[in-house]
Amino acid sequence: MSAGPGGHYLVLGAGGLGCPALLGLVSAGAAAITIVDHDVVDASNLQRQVLYTTADVGMAKVDAAKVRLRSRDPRLHVRALRLRLDATNLAPLLAEQPPGTIVLECSDAPDLKFMVNDTCLAGQLPLVVGGVQRWRGQVQAVQRGHACLRCMFEGPPPTELQEPCSLVGVMGAAAGLLGFWMAQLAVALHAGEPVAGTLWAIDTRTLLPQQMRPRPRPDCPACGAARST
Amino acid sequence: MATIRIPTPLRKYTQGKEEVQIAGATVQAVIEALEHSHPGIRERILDEHGKVRRFVNVFVGDEDIRFLENLQTPVAERDEISIIPAIAGG
Ligand SMILES: [Zn+2]
Repeated sequence: MSAGPGGHYLVLGAGGLGCPALLGLVSAGAAAITIVDHDVVDASNLQRQVLYTTADVGMAKVDAAKVRLRSRDPRLHVRALRLRLDATNLAPLLAEQPPGTIVLECSDAPDLKFMVNDTCLAGQLPLVVGGVQRWRGQVQAVQRGHACLRCMFEGPPPTELQEPCSLVGVMGAAAGLLGFWMAQLAVALHAGEPVAGTLWAIDTRTLLPQQMRPRPRPDCPACGAARST
Repeated sequence: MATIRIPTPLRKYTQGKEEVQIAGATVQAVIEALEHSHPGIRERILDEHGKVRRFVNVFVGDEDIRFLENLQTPVAERDEISIIPAIAGG
């Protein structure tokens, strides 16, 4: 990979995917990272939220993450935003990002993943979106002109069919693998590599990745709205 | 027979099997045959109108069936069919 160091990354969610993604970005030489999360460190999910220790329990995740990342690279610029993202504050947050920012969607909220997809496309911010559940996960880089998350899946599963991570669990190593994978794709986007539009899906029990590269869906509302802006 | 790759959440219908061999001339026929041998799996893939659920993708080889002939997409003897639901955890 020809990715030079540097770059600003906006990481939404500092949990199971966000922690390894942040470590991956720092090890790739990121210059600046903005971390957004509303939650505090909880003892019950330390096993996969590898940035935190028992001493951090009760602390805001974004503050604990900032301390840990700066201790790995004192030159790293880290902005910690304790914020619960919603339809009102997402677009203003994305609009204030410096040009060239790469977004990583690491939250555990299905609706938010699609909202971030739509808003990033409209604002022309390259995005990496990931998901992990039990032993399996998916990652996809999203950029205007290529199939987006909504081209791939028209929307999130309905609430009654969603299996919240709090109930079904996430295997720590699966989150680690997918989080680093997201960081790798984000660095590739920063370097201008043509990674957008491909969905990788993997079950960590077989470790056989599936790679899907569909065309953009002509009637995708997110791509359509982005084209008209 | 075509090979169907079953995603983790649907493996409870296939006794944990990752792959199932099913004969059928179209994706529709394959899903019906799959339901016959593994009752309950159809409604996880298709909605009440018989269309592929919004958050599920069905691929024949590398091609999304939405860009082929949807459920009427022909299935050849050695095709691999993948069912890929959105994973939204983190
Ligand atoms: Zn799209």
